[in-house]
Amino acid sequence: MLKTRGIALGISRSYTAKAKRSVLAQDKSKIKEYSPKTTDNHEYRVYVWGFQETGALGLQTSVKKAKERYTEMVHHPTRLQFSNNNDIRDVAAGYGFTAYAVKRDDGETLFGSGLNTDSQLGFQVKGNPNDPANLDVIIYPTAIKLPRVQGETDEDMQVKSMSAGRAHLVVLTQNGTIFTLGNNSYGQCGRSIIEEERYSKSALIHRISQEDICGKEDQVVHVECGQDHSMFLTKNGRVYTCGWGADGQTGQGNYHTAGQITLIGGDIEKEKIVRLSCSSDCVLALNEAGDAFGWGNSEYGQLDDSEHAETQINTPRALKLTKSIGKIKDVAAGGSFCMALNDQGLVYTWGFGILGFGPFVEQTSKPQHLLPPLFGRNDFSNATTVVSIGCGVFHMGAVNSDGDLFMWGKNRFGHLGLGHKKDQFFPFKAAINGKVTKVAYGVDHTIALCKSYF
Amino acid sequence: MALTKVYNAATAFKNLGGVLNVYKPAGMKVKHVRNAILNNICKGLNKMEQREPGKLREGRFLGTGTAADPVLHNIAFQTDQSDHVLSAGPRYLPRDLSCSTVSSLGDHTSGVLLFGINRGTGQSSSIRKSRPVRVYHITGRLGSATENHLPDSRVTMRANHRHVSADRISGLAASIQASHQRKMFELCGVDLQTQEAYELACKGLLRPADESQPVVYGIRLVHFERPHFTLELHSINETQEYLVALVHDLALELRTAAHCSQLRCVRHAHFDVRDSLLRNSWHLPGIIKNLRHQRDILRAHNQQHRVELKAIH
Repeated sequence: MLKTRGIALGISRSYTAKAKRSVLAQDKSKIKEYSPKTTDNHEYRVYVWGFQETGALGLQTSVKKAKERYTEMVHHPTRLQFSNNNDIRDVAAGYGFTAYAVKRDDGETLFGSGLNTDSQLGFQVKGNPNDPANLDVIIYPTAIKLPRVQGETDEDMQVKSMSAGRAHLVVLTQNGTIFTLGNNSYGQCGRSIIEEERYSKSALIHRISQEDICGKEDQVVHVECGQDHSMFLTKNGRVYTCGWGADGQTGQGNYHTAGQITLIGGDIEKEKIVRLSCSSDCVLALNEAGDAFGWGNSEYGQLDDSEHAETQINTPRALKLTKSIGKIKDVAAGGSFCMALNDQGLVYTWGFGILGFGPFVEQTSKPQHLLPPLFGRNDFSNATTVVSIGCGVFHMGAVNSDGDLFMWGKNRFGHLGLGHKKDQFFPFKAAINGKVTKVAYGVDHTIALCKSYF
Repeated sequence: MALTKVYNAATAFKNLGGVLNVYKPAGMKVKHVRNAILNNICKGLNKMEQREPGKLREGRFLGTGTAADPVLHNIAFQTDQSDHVLSAGPRYLPRDLSCSTVSSLGDHTSGVLLFGINRGTGQSSSIRKSRPVRVYHITGRLGSATENHLPDSRVTMRANHRHVSADRISGLAASIQASHQRKMFELCGVDLQTQEAYELACKGLLRPADESQPVVYGIRLVHFERPHFTLELHSINETQEYLVALVHDLALELRTAAHCSQLRCVRHAHFDVRDSLLRNSWHLPGIIKNLRHQRDILRAHNQQHRVELKAIH
């Protein structure tokens, strides 16, 4: 029987190659089922890169390991473990620290990691609660407990907007309460300056109601921090500021430091401002019609390029420089340069520094646009445009409609995410496995909030 | 068609030269396609009107005193029987034709395959040197991965693919495309910190400096019908292994498994799959007609071709 079968097989399939026989003979029931572990089902994932020694990246879990060599920088965008376990809604990057707005069941809404020398991440202790050791550096995101008044729910405490400066953090929650943490030596926390106040190991979190800032009719929708000042943008387009004003960055018409939150006027008095941007001491604002305004430091001719221009502008001023750009959609102000995005998706840069025009262009006082091929437009994807821009003190970035992030500028501690420490003189894509939705540009690190592909 | 008027094999052979665009069927080696084409050309030529066998040289067999012999005299002045087709064999053999491939396709790939025939070998090598972009349609089948990422080998794993949707595939494709455009810089051999790199970046796409690394210029989803999806891919220096592995990796990235079920080259430089010669017309008239058509295409794009060549270096 067996023999005849063998012969019959031999006759009917004599042409079958050995490789083919092995395919035909495969036991299909034994094929392994591949069910990949989906590490998270959250909407966003977070990629971080740049300087790690401050703990701002929140990648390390072991203090001992964090002190080892070769861990001080992260050259490539790296996925944050914390974002796998938590539903992160927003990120903000300060000078060596990061804040995460998180949605959790246990009611914590704000997390932070990084430098905590001025208690900008709240009062963090470890060890025995009776004899706590203060943490100046937090290497993994920890909860920042926002003080609540009676009746405030978890929903009220969700973060609406937040921003971080050199050593302070400003958080706006859903119910319109503003919390300020950290250094207040210039009044940037919106409270009066106390001489010789100790900020380290301070448990003080200042709480401001939006009614105290802008009254009952209006509400604060956005907060923005410069190096040592804070700005509050309301629904009606008013701007309120406080903090350090030595370069006029508070826009209050003087160069004083102010702990009092004040409405600012100047050219923006009658305008409805929809966007504010600042990373150190030069501020750009954008109104509804797409015109740009600016105040603060103008040492490099960012705000005014006329011959006898002031280098410090202490009142908001409509920019003449950007008149030729057309309708502006987005603005960003860095340490010594400015950027604008117009409605055609063209990115304009001007000022001093690496502006994206190659190694020879260091300074231009006239806004010039970067060519679209630099942001991924070519014959194969000819509809790609830039949709959002942003910048840190030393570097710039743009996200295009495909969700790709392009970075250029000074590469301090590898915060461009290109895999090396060399400066990048034109926009170059950062390798991130996800569609980038928001980027927080710190002074030496970068945080990207992304959506996954699957 | 002009060929209907040509009965002479020698005339046909004279016109046999240029670039030939053949549709290579899947599962057939390039070598076999080449042999089939050359054999069919010879077969066609040998069927045509052949050259007459040559005459014997006068007085070749005639010694002294034999010239008077009428039989010997007759043989001596007749045709050279050793030159006859029946004794010398067919007039045209595959080795009489020179043929070179522009670039090879894998065994499982179908589609445009370019040959340079006779005087077209020069053209074919200049096309190869200009390293034109090839366009592929790659069909993948979701749900199972195989050993060599092709359908004819053992299945290594199965996976669910309910979560995969068209926009997720195209999103990932867009990211692969952008990453490859970034990779181009690393391959074209310029220092990123120079003005030259900036100028190249402003132009957009670049060609790699050598042939070692595959570069994908464009990749997008053109068709999705569960469990099959088709990608259109523009690339240089690719190999079949690279393309099938790309499908496999793409599936893993989408948290599923897939293998490549079809692989077709739809365009190579300016030569389109619509003009390529199907297997049923791999005969002499068809080949000559195709050669003439490709010559027109080359002529139309020649100017463009030179510009492209300049941009490469």
